[in-house]
Amino acid sequence: MSAGLKLVLLGAQALTVVSAILVAFHPNILYASVSLLATFAGVAVLFVYAGADFLAGVQVVVYVGGVTILILFAVMLTQWLYEMRLRDVGVKLLMPCILGVLFFSSLFKVLGGLAAWVLARPPEGLEKFAALPKTEPIGEALLGAYLLPFEAVTVLLLGALVGAVWLARPK
Amino acid sequence: MREYVEMATGLHGYLTVGAILLTLGIVGVLSRKNTIGILLGVELMLNAAAINFVAFSKYRAAAIDGQVAALFIILIAAAEAAVALAIILRFYRLKQTVDSDEANLLRN
Amino acid sequence: MGANSAAFAQSLQTWIGAGPLWLWALVSAAAVIFLLALPFGGLATYAERKISADFQDRIGPNRVGPWGLFQIFADLVKMLAKEDFIPKGADRFLFNLAPALVVIGACGAFAVLPLGRQLIGADVNIGILYLFAITTVIAPGLLLGSWGSQNKWSLLGGMRAAAQIVSYEIPVALSILPVVLISGTLQVGLIVDQQGWSWASSAAGTPHFWNLFHNPFCFLSAFLLFVGGLAETNRIPFDLPEAESELVSGFNTEFSGIRFGLYALGEFCDVFVMSAMVTALYLGGWQIPFITLEQFLFPIPSGLIALIQFTVFLLKTLFLVFVVMWLRWTLPRLRVDQLMGLCWKGLVPLALFCVFGTAVWMWVFGGRSIAQLIAGFGG
Repeated sequence: MSAGLKLVLLGAQALTVVSAILVAFHPNILYASVSLLATFAGVAVLFVYAGADFLAGVQVVVYVGGVTILILFAVMLTQWLYEMRLRDVGVKLLMPCILGVLFFSSLFKVLGGLAAWVLARPPEGLEKFAALPKTEPIGEALLGAYLLPFEAVTVLLLGALVGAVWLARPK
Repeated sequence: MREYVEMATGLHGYLTVGAILLTLGIVGVLSRKNTIGILLGVELMLNAAAINFVAFSKYRAAAIDGQVAALFIILIAAAEAAVALAIILRFYRLKQTVDSDEANLLRN
Repeated sequence: MGANSAAFAQSLQTWIGAGPLWLWALVSAAAVIFLLALPFGGLATYAERKISADFQDRIGPNRVGPWGLFQIFADLVKMLAKEDFIPKGADRFLFNLAPALVVIGACGAFAVLPLGRQLIGADVNIGILYLFAITTVIAPGLLLGSWGSQNKWSLLGGMRAAAQIVSYEIPVALSILPVVLISGTLQVGLIVDQQGWSWASSAAGTPHFWNLFHNPFCFLSAFLLFVGGLAETNRIPFDLPEAESELVSGFNTEFSGIRFGLYALGEFCDVFVMSAMVTALYLGGWQIPFITLEQFLFPIPSGLIALIQFTVFLLKTLFLVFVVMWLRWTLPRLRVDQLMGLCWKGLVPLALFCVFGTAVWMWVFGGRSIAQLIAGFGG
């Protein structure tokens, strides 16, 4: 990877992390949703670098163009436009933060060890795999080895669709 | 310095970003009162899991299975967000607020 | 099959012969945005006014410069010189972010448009998916701008716009699928390549090799894609979000000056992108009937080939843009429930039917088009 590409990757990681901090802590729920949009975009860039180009496209379509709109609609339908009553400061912020720091440090240690172990045993065909386009293998997997989960997810989506429409129906 | 950059642009970087997103998701869910804010935390956690799957798919397996798992995560997260927001809208119609402290109808 | 379509940057590097690739990548990106997208946006405003004037039996701008061409610059200067007005109480951050998202979504799609075989900005393997994905970034832009205006009517217009865009993405995606089924790839360069001479065993790149005439289901889904594209870009008959007579100006009521200019630019670029998508997928992109430039009577320099292919692509796309503008003054505006009903009860079932029909056709006839079937019938 050239220096420019590395810089873009580091920038995307920074964008993702900063946006995630805003999502978790920003008192204004609308700004938190917009930061979630930025987080999704950053994650899509990370997917591209990990050789998951098809997944990056799906991430943008489903998350940025879909889930973000859903969340923004929910925010706009449940908050007052003129009296922006969006203050959501967590008064009980101290305990979750301590818990988060503890959790993260232990996770970091475990993952660091795991990553070192994995990197010491590189799989064969790593370079070839990373360079391939991934649309066809994913398609073959979905209709081959993963056919049952695929069909189950379609049933789940149908149920979610019907359920969401039913729950949100006008009186 | 150079080796830190190497690690950050390799497997370590992906796992660290995933871990940060997971932790922030948990903190968000625990500390936010607004139910939509809780949903935002859940979405962060799902994204973190997807990043982990994709990273290991590349560095450990060199196979497509991790990406298929991440694809399923994205699909299920979208379905779950739709249902959760429908519930939140129903709740809002009942209580005229989305404050999670107000969700106490089953108490006592 | 043959030489793969080269990226624009690589072609520039080959023609000019010097310089590192990253420099040509930057130059090609800047060229596509500043020499194609932005001038198109400007000319489209002028063309819209002239064309609408023609349809309404008047003259249109004709005072500023020859045939009123400098009207574009006059409008631009006016917009830039306007006071940068943000209504009191409006959300400054969202007000600035919204037009940016719209322009990002519209102009980002130019990277994968097949302007010519050697002129694709980035012929990524997920070409069509990238195009679809980047144009969905426009929807949050509209929604956030309408909320940021702190105006009930803007919010209403913005929510309608977002609902419309999200709903019509489904027929658009389903109408892209027949082409993907036929071509077996998401790569835009390959899809256009397969609609021409090189892929046929005989005959030329005449219209009957376009995907439009591959099978009757494709024919129908081309029109569905066009209608869905109209709805995605908020053009009449789907322009209720900007309804001039109903919601003042809908979601861009509070935007003035250059911010409104950015919205208009984003909308026109989106119209171009949607027309280019239909052209590339169904009308054969840069393919010229009866001619394949690489195997012409005498060898043509590759720069000239690129220029001819670009011109052909542009002509086809601009014809579709003209049809979009034509429809604006022909059809009445759909009411919001008619709009949604048309999408969910009309276009989505039709698009699903087209996908299913194309799949069955591919299975029954082994992927041959109507033209190939007729050609093989006699022999």
